[in-house]
Amino acid sequence: MFQKIEDRFDLSLFIAVILLTGIGLVAIYSSTYNHPTASGNFTKQVYWVIFSLIAFFLFYFLPHKSFRYLSAYFYAGSLLMLIGVIVFGKVVYGAKSWVSLGPVGFQPSEFAKIGLILFLAYWLSYKRRNINNVKDVGVALLIGFVPVALILMQPDLGTAIVFALITFVMIFWAGLNLFAFFVVVSPAVVVFVSLFGLTALIITLILIILALIFFKRDLFTSITIFVYNLASAFIFDYLVKYLKPHQQKRIETFINPYADPLGAGYNALQAKVAIGSGGLFGKGFMQGSQTQLRFIPEQWTDFIFCVIGEEFGFWGSIITLALFFIIFLRILNIVNSVKDHYSRLVLIGILTMIFVHFSINIGMNLGITPVIGLPLPFISYGGSSLLVNMASMGLVMNIYKNRRLYT
Amino acid sequence: MSNQTFHTVDRRKIIFSIILIFFAVSVFQLFKMQILEQVTYVEKSSENSVRKITLKPPRGIFFDRNFQILVSNKPSYSLQIIPANYNNAITPMLEKVLNVNEGYINNILEKKSGYSRYLPRRIKRGIDFNVVTWIEENREFLPGVEYVVEMQRDYSFGINGAHVFGYTREINRSQLEKYKGIYSLGDYIGIKGIEKTYETYLRGVKGYRLVIVNSEQKIIGSFEDGKKDKQPLKGFDLVLTLDWETQKKAEQLFKNKSGSLVALNPKNGEILAFVSAPQYDISKFSTVISKDFIQQLRNDPRKPLFNRATTSIYPPGSTLKMLVALIGLESGIINRYSTVNCKGGYQYGNRFFRCHGVHGITNVEKAIEHSCNTFFYKLILDIGLDKFANVARQFGFGKKTGVDLSEEAKGIVPDSKYYNKVYGKNKWSRGNLLSLGIGQGEFSVTTLQLAQYTALLANNGKTVQPHIVRGYLTRDVQELIPFEFKEINVPVDEEKLQIVKRGMYKVVNGEGTAKNIKLPDIKIAGKTGTSQNPHGKDHALFVAFAPYDDPQIAVAVMVENVGFGSSHAAPIAQKIIQTYLKSEHENKLQEALSLK
Repeated sequence: MFQKIEDRFDLSLFIAVILLTGIGLVAIYSSTYNHPTASGNFTKQVYWVIFSLIAFFLFYFLPHKSFRYLSAYFYAGSLLMLIGVIVFGKVVYGAKSWVSLGPVGFQPSEFAKIGLILFLAYWLSYKRRNINNVKDVGVALLIGFVPVALILMQPDLGTAIVFALITFVMIFWAGLNLFAFFVVVSPAVVVFVSLFGLTALIITLILIILALIFFKRDLFTSITIFVYNLASAFIFDYLVKYLKPHQQKRIETFINPYADPLGAGYNALQAKVAIGSGGLFGKGFMQGSQTQLRFIPEQWTDFIFCVIGEEFGFWGSIITLALFFIIFLRILNIVNSVKDHYSRLVLIGILTMIFVHFSINIGMNLGITPVIGLPLPFISYGGSSLLVNMASMGLVMNIYKNRRLYT
Repeated sequence: MSNQTFHTVDRRKIIFSIILIFFAVSVFQLFKMQILEQVTYVEKSSENSVRKITLKPPRGIFFDRNFQILVSNKPSYSLQIIPANYNNAITPMLEKVLNVNEGYINNILEKKSGYSRYLPRRIKRGIDFNVVTWIEENREFLPGVEYVVEMQRDYSFGINGAHVFGYTREINRSQLEKYKGIYSLGDYIGIKGIEKTYETYLRGVKGYRLVIVNSEQKIIGSFEDGKKDKQPLKGFDLVLTLDWETQKKAEQLFKNKSGSLVALNPKNGEILAFVSAPQYDISKFSTVISKDFIQQLRNDPRKPLFNRATTSIYPPGSTLKMLVALIGLESGIINRYSTVNCKGGYQYGNRFFRCHGVHGITNVEKAIEHSCNTFFYKLILDIGLDKFANVARQFGFGKKTGVDLSEEAKGIVPDSKYYNKVYGKNKWSRGNLLSLGIGQGEFSVTTLQLAQYTALLANNGKTVQPHIVRGYLTRDVQELIPFEFKEINVPVDEEKLQIVKRGMYKVVNGEGTAKNIKLPDIKIAGKTGTSQNPHGKDHALFVAFAPYDDPQIAVAVMVENVGFGSSHAAPIAQKIIQTYLKSEHENKLQEALSLK
């Protein structure tokens, strides 16, 4: 009997998810209990957890094929919602990313992630496309970058990065060869490196030239690739000027967090102080001075990991990371056992989505990546994010249940 | 081509590696922050949330020799502005409410610019309760304006004592630099008088209260229930040597006069009364903030800031004659029977040095009694300049007494070196010496030096460095811990000194120059003097000690620009002696009664 459930339901994955959600509730309780305006958040989140579990089981029990058939509609619906939010949405933290449905606010971009993953998987797996064909890779990139562009218009840099990375990784998984992968990814690397100044950029450009020599393509192709790498750096620099001032500051702050300790670097520094001062065993539940005295604004959202780090210490942090590690390993494992190409791509998309959220969030909490506002999956306060993550876990579980089927 | 395509297994490996690398980096970073650097972060975290609020101690207060309060503290309201929150637009309204001139507030804010904008600047001390009520009622329109209760000096105990007590002032930039860690912006520091000399005793030790604040710096509660708070320690209270009654009397006697008075206990150098007149109203200093008040005093032609008892120097006139007589007796140039026939002056070379009368055959006692110049003209010529100067220095002239007040002049004791310097070698004659014999010419003293000299005569060459503070009281049991002062010993032959003192006795009790102050019950010994003043009317001088047989008080009085000493200075000395001896007698009586 137990064996049978194990076969249809990945219990360790589910337990890891439930434990993370529980840790999240504890951290939200601690950081909002004494807060004048956010003290109701814990109760709200409890309702969202219940709601999300329903979504989890809904996605788990839905017929296997329905996702595939519905992917185009999911995607189209997502794009419509993203356009809608730009037109009708309300501004929260300098970005129009929320729409109100009665008393509940929700973020269409959260749901659009599933839409992208399902549709891109559908398109990439359709009749075994040749992803190394310029036209096919172009269309795949287009599928990804339409929502990216819409999200950048909100503007929400963090979520746009998630969409871009989901697109890259899924295209990579679809079988892109090394050269094509290089062509697609190198401008992103150039853009990222350009943040760190001219020297770093020049070194990267030299590396790109060396790589082009290694690929032994004709001169025209090589020069074209080099030129568009160079251009992407300049275009990015130009775009940075159009970022909201708080986003520009965040990028500057990532490069030198101590330049403005009371301004943009404030959150990053306070987060490090909170986690560092937690020590081995932490200061205890509801005992973290950084958390309880509210040195980090809105700590129950993007900086919730500080609560865990401060109040439960190194062990609490390690356990949290370990639970995420279990989730990622389980999904990779399922990818291995799934026969169907479409399902694999969906799994990789979901894995990428959760991992990008996780790594950017933990990275900014630990001061190893810039402060980009992304929630920590399952743990941060927020209904839309939890709902989407739980639903996608239900989807993963659904694929696991049907892993032996070809479609 | 195909070898450049990733196989499924390779792709999984790449993704797995990326995840693994990220976990490794995260765990390493967590380990580094939470285990290796924990102490640093804990420190930063408590700096964040724990705020230290300085608690200022009250200054030590002053008692007189009989533990009567001279200066105390009283709470008062001060108005402060925190520039970071302040809105300049309300300045005119605030100035009106505070009843100060236009620009007053800006002036203070400008002077204190450059410090942290979050540190409060004191704008006015001792503000009216009405102003406090007004601030309380209009709080929301007065950002960055607050009032605090502070201790200020309370001078309502009947003694003004401006030049004794001195004053405190808000610490300035250079002092702040110099005493980093002890003082902070807005602290008061002693500038003059014993407020300055005993600053280290008076200031006390600051305490602090630790409170927990949130990220908006709002106080949420005390830190560890105040267990780690430190109460401020009040400054040590000082017990002065002044006698309240005598000091009060002295201040009254100098009302509307210019001059100075120092009364000492000759046995131990304790200053019983100390006046420099005119005084300034010391109570104004308790509320003053700006330098305007001090500037106004500086510009006052009567110079009330000037301490005339210790920094004003003038020739001692005939009060110096005891010294000349004593040198003559001690060196054997004269004895008590040696006489000079005074015919109204002394012929030296082609110049006639006048005496103020014709005293006939005069011995040393009579010469002091009648202040005969002729006797001393002759005597000083026999003594010689440098011997005279040496002994004068032994008696404390020409050098600072080391009194525990902030400023003091040395005075001048001319010797041949001095004359060579001033006039050039061999360009001066022994004629200059004649003036010195009667205390005129370049010889210059302070009233304090004269009092010390009188004490030495009264107490047979022994006294203690003059001082105004006996000691401090311990905080716990209020035990008086006395300060140590240097003893002064001038080797004198008591028998010969007695001849001089006898002359002083006769000045008052014989047919002398101050017989007008003779008292039936107190034997006063004294000497009048007139200090020649090239700029105006002469200064009247009188030195005295009493009782003659067992001196308890030595006093020096100087009244500016009034002429002869016996009519102006002597009566003041007389009343001071009277007051002190009566007060001392009563105190002893009371002490005896309370012991029973």
